[in-house]
Amino acid sequence: MAQNKPAGTTILEVKELSVSYGHVNALKSVNIEVCKGEIVVLIGANGAGKTSLMETILGVNEVDSGAIIFEGKEITKKSADKIVRSGIFLVPEGRGVFSSMTVTDNLLLGAHHNLKGSKEKMDYVFSSFPILGERKGQVAGTLSGGERQMLAIARALMSSPKMILVDEPSIGLAPKIVNDIFDILIKLNKEGYSILLSEQNVYKALKCAHRGYVMETGKILLSGSSEELLNNSEIRKAYLGA
Amino acid sequence: MSLPLYYYLAIASIYILMTWALYLPYRVAHLHFMVVANMAISGYFGGYAATQWGWSFGAALLAGMLIGAILSWLVSFGIGDAPTFAVVIVGFTFIYITKTTIENWDAVGGTMGMFGIPMVKNLLLYAYIFVVITGFFIYRFDHSRLGRAASAMFVDKDLAISFGVNTKHLGMFLQTWAGAIGGVCGVFYAFFMNSLFPDFFTFQIIGTTMTMLFLGGYTTMWGPLLAAPLLWGLPLILPTEIASWRQIIYGVILIVILLLRPEGVVTRQLIRKIQVKLKLIKVA
Amino acid sequence: MEIFIAQVINGLSLGSIYVLLVTGFNLLLLVAMIIHFSFPVVVVFSMYIAWIVLGLTGNNIFLGVTAGILSAILFNIITAPMFQHIMKKRGEVDINSTMVLSMGLGMIITDFLSHSINSGFPIAFPDNLTGRAEGAFLKFGLISMSRGAFLALTVGVVFVSGLFWLLYKTKQGRAFRAIAEDPNGAKLVGLPILKTGLQSYALTGFLGGSTAILMAILLGSASPGLGDQLGHKVLAVSIIAGLGNLKGGLIVGLALGILEALVQGYWTGTWSNAIAFVIMLIAILVKPKGIFGMKL
Repeated sequence: MAQNKPAGTTILEVKELSVSYGHVNALKSVNIEVCKGEIVVLIGANGAGKTSLMETILGVNEVDSGAIIFEGKEITKKSADKIVRSGIFLVPEGRGVFSSMTVTDNLLLGAHHNLKGSKEKMDYVFSSFPILGERKGQVAGTLSGGERQMLAIARALMSSPKMILVDEPSIGLAPKIVNDIFDILIKLNKEGYSILLSEQNVYKALKCAHRGYVMETGKILLSGSSEELLNNSEIRKAYLGA
Repeated sequence: MSLPLYYYLAIASIYILMTWALYLPYRVAHLHFMVVANMAISGYFGGYAATQWGWSFGAALLAGMLIGAILSWLVSFGIGDAPTFAVVIVGFTFIYITKTTIENWDAVGGTMGMFGIPMVKNLLLYAYIFVVITGFFIYRFDHSRLGRAASAMFVDKDLAISFGVNTKHLGMFLQTWAGAIGGVCGVFYAFFMNSLFPDFFTFQIIGTTMTMLFLGGYTTMWGPLLAAPLLWGLPLILPTEIASWRQIIYGVILIVILLLRPEGVVTRQLIRKIQVKLKLIKVA
Repeated sequence: MEIFIAQVINGLSLGSIYVLLVTGFNLLLLVAMIIHFSFPVVVVFSMYIAWIVLGLTGNNIFLGVTAGILSAILFNIITAPMFQHIMKKRGEVDINSTMVLSMGLGMIITDFLSHSINSGFPIAFPDNLTGRAEGAFLKFGLISMSRGAFLALTVGVVFVSGLFWLLYKTKQGRAFRAIAEDPNGAKLVGLPILKTGLQSYALTGFLGGSTAILMAILLGSASPGLGDQLGHKVLAVSIIAGLGNLKGGLIVGLALGILEALVQGYWTGTWSNAIAFVIMLIAILVKPKGIFGMKL
């Protein structure tokens, strides 16, 4: 498959990254790149390593070998809270909102490292996501799946990130809601956020992304522009049932 | 046999048994401190039966064992499956209630104590016979299907349940067995010392046996067997001023072992290594 | 009737102490993720430190109080790395080991107090601290309240309210609650787990130290065995309320205080203690996971 050289400045570079949990090799010499202003998608089945990769970028896992470079600086050995401070925020698989805390509190947690201007940020978030504004005093556990996904994304915005990692946003959501969520991601991308997205809903993901990587058992199998990947016959067979 | 040696061996046997009584429920992560209460209750019962009703040692021993077992069994209906923490508190509470009852009950001697429990010939021998028998059964347990289930339950209770392990029954079984051992220890202690004082059954025994269990290693039965006589003997050979700091020394040992080698000195791997060295098992 | 009310008020004061101790314990459980079994013993240790400093400074209340509170904070912060270390050992959080570690610390403190301070005899706090000589601090007809009881109650109310304010209205509190609900999720949103854990040690140290002073005033004395006695009750309260359940701890703590005061008022002797324990034992056996449910 032809390697598509990404245009523009690179914001995130992952070089030969290998991570293991005990005896299990979760990631094997993974190489990916995200350019500023891009939406890059990671495709792969369960257990392919997408979440492991994202969590490692965030600084949660110990790296066996390789490097992670963000905005030109190496962040491989940094702790998660420092990485979040540098401008990366994760929207976890399963939303990861704190069910016992209110919408407002969840949002404020996103701004934990820099509460200055959080009022303005919350106003911005509520204007982009009016439903959250309506439910701001409600406990997050009472929100619907789609609302929680929005909350998780909004929470990420509260940290004024430069890059957002979104882990499987469509899981457990109805198709219409999934569309809404992807529309939101595209809109955010247009506003300037770089997004690394992992998805099992391959068609929708490739439709909104610029480029993609296909992962399997911890390795990068294929990469290319979203058009190339959509037209790739193996991918069509494996993930699109065509 | 000299008196100090006799005394050392006698109490050593009791500490070995008590630490094993703690070891068994801890195989499923229960710190069943109630065994100390079992020891007190059965010990006092045995002593009372012997002095007031003329029971023989054997009868007292059997009764003590049964009382310990039944009490722990009844309580295990509530805590057979409880979080470790609850088991600990129940144990502490029982010890407290037992001690208060004994202290306020003149018929068993109150705070003054119970005296005149008869001597028994060959008591030391009987004690160690019981140690060997108990050790044998613990060995059989550890190497059985139940023992493996217990190990699974220790590591991940929910996973064990999904494998079909009845965690409540296993917990109840181990607690009952431990209670029986505790009861036996009580009776042996009563007849070794020929007297009983409520002061003995304090939380100090808990600290001591816990240190023995963790120093020796809570994953095998050999750990307690090794650590109990060692830790018990230690203050006996130290000069008295230092020996009176016993509890602090035990506390420090406990903390150090937790920080440096939490599984204890005798671990399963160590035993395998020894077995390989002694050519008891073949290496693939 | 007035005796009843008097006892209830006394019970509330005692209950406040229990609530403060249970809350400190629960915070450590929820945020530092340890079972600090001997936390009440550390509190009694602080009482002793306060007593020593009072003795050395001619009963200077300010210094004594400061010493008591500081010693608790310091002790917590110094032992924090030990707890952190053994938690990491097994890969996943091994909470039972923290309990055993805490018990080991308790053993050391209790034995140290029995041996080295005042030769193990109970210590008494000076009158200028306890206000004993003044007689009743407040009087409503036949109902009177000692200075200690009054302080315990008011400080208890202030601190618990302050704590709830901290938890629900501040950045630190949000972090505490997030970690309490989901430590992994908290890590994933970039909350500093280690730093926040340490903050909880310091906070509970402060709470514990303050409680030590309150107890010094309310009880007027302390003994090496007090830590174990108190610890036992506090832990039973936290189990009955449900481990980690702050609101439950509030209710059960006060209830125990009132229960004890009533029993002591109408029944004297050590049996009163035993009865409280029997009731707690039954509660635990019937509901080992707590009346209000565990937050664990």
